[in-house]
Amino acid sequence: MPDTLLEVDDLHIHFPTDDGLVKAVDGISFSLDRGRTLGIVGESGSGKSVTSLGIMGLHHGSNARITGHIKLDGEELVGATANRIRELRGSKMAMIFQDPLSSLHPFYTVGAQIAEAYLVHNQVGKKVARKHAVEMLGRVGIPQPATRADDYPHQFSGGMRQRAMIAMALSCDPELLIADEPTTALDVTVQAQILDLIWDLQQEYHSAVIIITHDLGVVAELSDDILVMYAGRMAEYGSAENTFDQPGHPYTWGLLASMPRIDEARLERLVPIKGTPPSLINVPSGCAFHPRCRYAGFTDGRSQAEVPELREVAPGHLVACHLTGDQRRRFRTQLDLEETEASAARMTKGDG
Amino acid sequence: MITFIVRRLFATIFLLIVVSMITFAIFFLIPRLAGQNSYELATQYVGRNPTRAAVLAIEDKLGLNAPVYLQYARFLKAIVFGTHYNSGTSTTYCPPPCFGYSFKTQQPVWPQMVSDIPVTLSLAIGAAVIWLVGGVTIGIISALKRGTLFDRFSMGLALVGVSLPIFFTGLIALELFSYKWPIFPNVQYVSFSTNPLLWARNLVLPWIVLALLYAALYARLTRAGMLETMSEDFIRTARAKGLRERTVIFKHGLRATLTPIVTIFGMDLGLLLGGAIITEVTFSLHGLGLFTVEAVQNQDLPEILGVTMLAAFFIVIANLVVDILYAVVDPRVRH
Amino acid sequence: MRRRRTIGLAALGAAAALALAACGGGSSGGGSGSSSGSSSAAGFNAAITKVVNPSNHKGGTLTFADSSTTDSTDPGNTYYAFSWNLTRFYTMPLMTYKSCPGQCGLQVVPDLATGPGVVTDNGLTWTYHIQPDVKFEDGTTVTSSDVKYAVERTFDRAKLPLGPNYFSLLLKPQKPAYPGPYKDRSKNIMGLKAVQTPNPTTIVFHLAKPFADFNYVVAIPQTAPVPPNKDTGSNYQLHPWSTGPYKFQSYQLNKQTTLVPNTFWKASTDPQAKQLPSKIVINWNVNANDLDNRLLAGDLDVDAAGTGVQAAARAKILSSPTLKASSDDPISGFLWFAYLNTVVKPMNNVHCRMAVEYAANKTNQQTAYGGPVAGGAIASTVAPPNVLGQKHFDLYEATTKPGGDLAKAKSELQACGQPNGFSTGIAYRSDRPKEVQAAQSLQAALSQVGIKTSLHGYPSGTYFSNFAGVPKYVHNHNLGILMGGWAPDWPDGYGFFDFITAGDTISPAGNTNIEELNDPVVNNLLNKMAATNDATTRNSYTAQIDMQVMKQAAILPEVYAKSLLYRSPNLTNVYVQPYYGMYNYAVLGLK
Repeated sequence: MPDTLLEVDDLHIHFPTDDGLVKAVDGISFSLDRGRTLGIVGESGSGKSVTSLGIMGLHHGSNARITGHIKLDGEELVGATANRIRELRGSKMAMIFQDPLSSLHPFYTVGAQIAEAYLVHNQVGKKVARKHAVEMLGRVGIPQPATRADDYPHQFSGGMRQRAMIAMALSCDPELLIADEPTTALDVTVQAQILDLIWDLQQEYHSAVIIITHDLGVVAELSDDILVMYAGRMAEYGSAENTFDQPGHPYTWGLLASMPRIDEARLERLVPIKGTPPSLINVPSGCAFHPRCRYAGFTDGRSQAEVPELREVAPGHLVACHLTGDQRRRFRTQLDLEETEASAARMTKGDG
Repeated sequence: MITFIVRRLFATIFLLIVVSMITFAIFFLIPRLAGQNSYELATQYVGRNPTRAAVLAIEDKLGLNAPVYLQYARFLKAIVFGTHYNSGTSTTYCPPPCFGYSFKTQQPVWPQMVSDIPVTLSLAIGAAVIWLVGGVTIGIISALKRGTLFDRFSMGLALVGVSLPIFFTGLIALELFSYKWPIFPNVQYVSFSTNPLLWARNLVLPWIVLALLYAALYARLTRAGMLETMSEDFIRTARAKGLRERTVIFKHGLRATLTPIVTIFGMDLGLLLGGAIITEVTFSLHGLGLFTVEAVQNQDLPEILGVTMLAAFFIVIANLVVDILYAVVDPRVRH
Repeated sequence: MRRRRTIGLAALGAAAALALAACGGGSSGGGSGSSSGSSSAAGFNAAITKVVNPSNHKGGTLTFADSSTTDSTDPGNTYYAFSWNLTRFYTMPLMTYKSCPGQCGLQVVPDLATGPGVVTDNGLTWTYHIQPDVKFEDGTTVTSSDVKYAVERTFDRAKLPLGPNYFSLLLKPQKPAYPGPYKDRSKNIMGLKAVQTPNPTTIVFHLAKPFADFNYVVAIPQTAPVPPNKDTGSNYQLHPWSTGPYKFQSYQLNKQTTLVPNTFWKASTDPQAKQLPSKIVINWNVNANDLDNRLLAGDLDVDAAGTGVQAAARAKILSSPTLKASSDDPISGFLWFAYLNTVVKPMNNVHCRMAVEYAANKTNQQTAYGGPVAGGAIASTVAPPNVLGQKHFDLYEATTKPGGDLAKAKSELQACGQPNGFSTGIAYRSDRPKEVQAAQSLQAALSQVGIKTSLHGYPSGTYFSNFAGVPKYVHNHNLGILMGGWAPDWPDGYGFFDFITAGDTISPAGNTNIEELNDPVVNNLLNKMAATNDATTRNSYTAQIDMQVMKQAAILPEVYAKSLLYRSPNLTNVYVQPYYGMYNYAVLGLK
């Protein structure tokens, strides 16, 4: 079995609306091997959810225009029949969502919903499906699964619900699991448990996982690779190690700086990235990030005029930015200094 | 569940008592506020040119000169224990629930209402089936084919249907299908046991006219509800599981949409069971609605009280059933 | 006597129905019923003067419908013209009206009795003999005790409050007052001393004062015999014990009455009625416009209320020559008018009242009631033409200047000291569209001479009992003008004028002398009428009373009412009985 499970190549997803063409995803490419985890990061409106829904084929029924390639285990999904994609959904690729309370049907028991997922892809009897559902619930760490399978979603706590969702998604043993903001609606302590669960299951099933989030902390824990998206385009793509140690894109720098750090005293305000995400109808010319970028002025106007190409700044590490490598290193060092001074100041203040 | 039902039943009785009190109050106190005394009230129930003695006799017989609370007490007593009535040559016992005797015809109210119930029931339930099936179906199709010609057309039609009053559509229906082209001549209620075919044939026009109004409403409601439900997260999940679209729509979508529709349906049906007044008047169907109109026009207190309480009873029971149904259908309500 | 006016709910649909009438009105032969028969219709108003479709053909179901309900089917407890008409199907009172069209039908002739009452004792004793072989529906023979019992029932106004109370007013009183046969039944049954039954075929009435119209009084259905052992008091209406050609088969209150032939009825004892249809059905509470449409379509035969079709059907009928040829526009016996109250200031001054008489626009009033065909003829006298002894006169130019005479009105205002007009209230029944319109039209006409009026509408059910018929209320609310209508309980002058103009009928509630006229000339003439047996003399007083009432301007006559009736082509022996002002029901048959 080849290792590459998912290949996305130059994916565009556009929505024609009365106000104009919304370019939600505008040229994304990445690949994912079995057993590896890709974290897709970005603000809301960056196109990360749209990408995942696109992979799952859940844009059918809307007026989305999808071009490019999505190859799942060698099979082209863009342009495939709705029925074929439906067959793959839930069985070969599965997805879990942000809010498990609203994402589970309130009128059916959890067990029934999990069994349903199993039944649609497997020719088995109801009893077998039920047994399987109970098994899955046990697998995701829900105590007394046989009794709890007859409970309704609202009778579960937040963390348990998310576990149940995961159980449902994994019931058909999918090769690709997409988790869209799986922990955003949960407490910090429960977050950690869920992430651990996903990690364990991935080890067990050897599935490929895509985690979509705006929270770099989540990404740091689980991902092997990171894709940073901005305004529907790729800003940075590389291994987690490289991207965290040597972030190459000013946007990524901003994300890292704006991350709350547990080892810092919380006396300073978080440093947010200035400005707001751009409109996807009227994307800024040139580099989409340039209106918010501190360093846009250093590129002789190319940031405003030219869309930056993805360039390899290190093996396997791609960045889409007009800054040269030198500039990048210089500005990065400057930022580090600023940070160190700031944190020293904070620590002094903290003493006094 | 049992305690729930028992509690609700007690609430029902309490509510009916309140309704009867209010009806009593309206009947007696408001004319009194306008300066009318019980003597003047009694003159309505005598023929013309009554002597003073005659009016006093009626006033006494109907108990109108007693204080209002006493009349009310007698009324309650009659409902619970029944009452004896002297028709002149014999004394009859009116068993509970006894709503007394019509001021105008001196005939017991309860048997009259009971004989009217099947008419209203036939009308209401027949129409209900039509509007529920028709309206909901059109609503679902419109929601699924949102924006298409079917959707626009059916919603436009629904808007018209909701806006047209029953006495208008009823008259048009009669004019066209009863008088001009005698497809349904002589619309008159025939009981089911007498002739089921005729029963149905004579009710077709009233059913359609009544159902049209509600079907339009339910089509719009279902469409709106369906659209809202189909944009819910759990629908997205259902699709993500790889379920067939048909399953997504009907098992997941419709089930969630129908619950508020069922609630409204229960209320609408409950209200109608108390008398589909305009339809019954338009088509001259002797149901509770026509009974109500007549009772009010004749200022016949026992009849008014009887039909008001019966209507209230139906509404309360309908509410109770709906609440129970809701608990059955939506598990979140149970716990 | 009260005529039925249709329920206001009909007005709800009238607008829509009118529109539809316009659509369907042009088509000829609006009645699509195939039963309209091959013969051409007899012509407009044919049934007023002759019998249309005379025939003795038996069979068929005669279907009536009424937009409301009757007050009661108990002959002792009813006061509507159409109801009295219907009782002739199942009762034989002592006397009745002759079954023939035209003036002929105003005669009162013996029915159960063998002849008119024999008057003795200076007019105080009236003796009737009844036919010996009239039977009830169960074969038992009718005796004079049954007639006495029927009269006795009318004395218990608590049990049977709805019918007229002439007997308790006219018969010689006893002490203690006779309470009727229901209280203390064993003691009081047959306890009415003023009525004696010396033998099974003789009944003797003792009056308190001479009353020459007594034959008319016993023509009221209250003298129809009631066997005491079959009387069920207030339940008797469900199945009155029949002496007429038909008997009750079933009666679902407020819904349907079914009559079937009474096998014990003999045509030879009851020449005023016939037994032709094999079944009679009366449907109550049928929507008024629906009723008319069914009538026109041939789905039913007669509108029981007999007061004419609604506006929508009227338009259809008048615009279609075929339909018009099957309709009649008889005088119903009603006068529509306004009482001009003689107590409320400044209407207490006769010249102010005369101003109202002159200022009113009679044509507009006629239009309000439905125009010449459906409303009636402009009236200048209080008594309509079918009251015995009525003569035409016109004191206030109603027929010569129907638009009103504003100049004369103004001069009358001067005479009563209100040169710039005055203010008063107009009372009317708000659920009678015609009356509403008439009140509004009167208001408009009077305002032209400065008489400012405020309109006060009341529900008809309580109009007489609580408002217009309560003098105290009238005075307190300054109601100088009150709309109304009147038809006599019997067709002579006394029957017409007594209740509405006699000074001694003014009563604190349920008042019928609403103008509160207490004129000595009128009172005197009425008393003389009551005491005179000679018909010609009696009838001559009618015109004199009429003249005096009009001189006092106590009443503003508007129209002699007419009703536009549709005469179903299915019917045989159809003609207008002038006393009821509608078709004679007891002789109807089907083709």
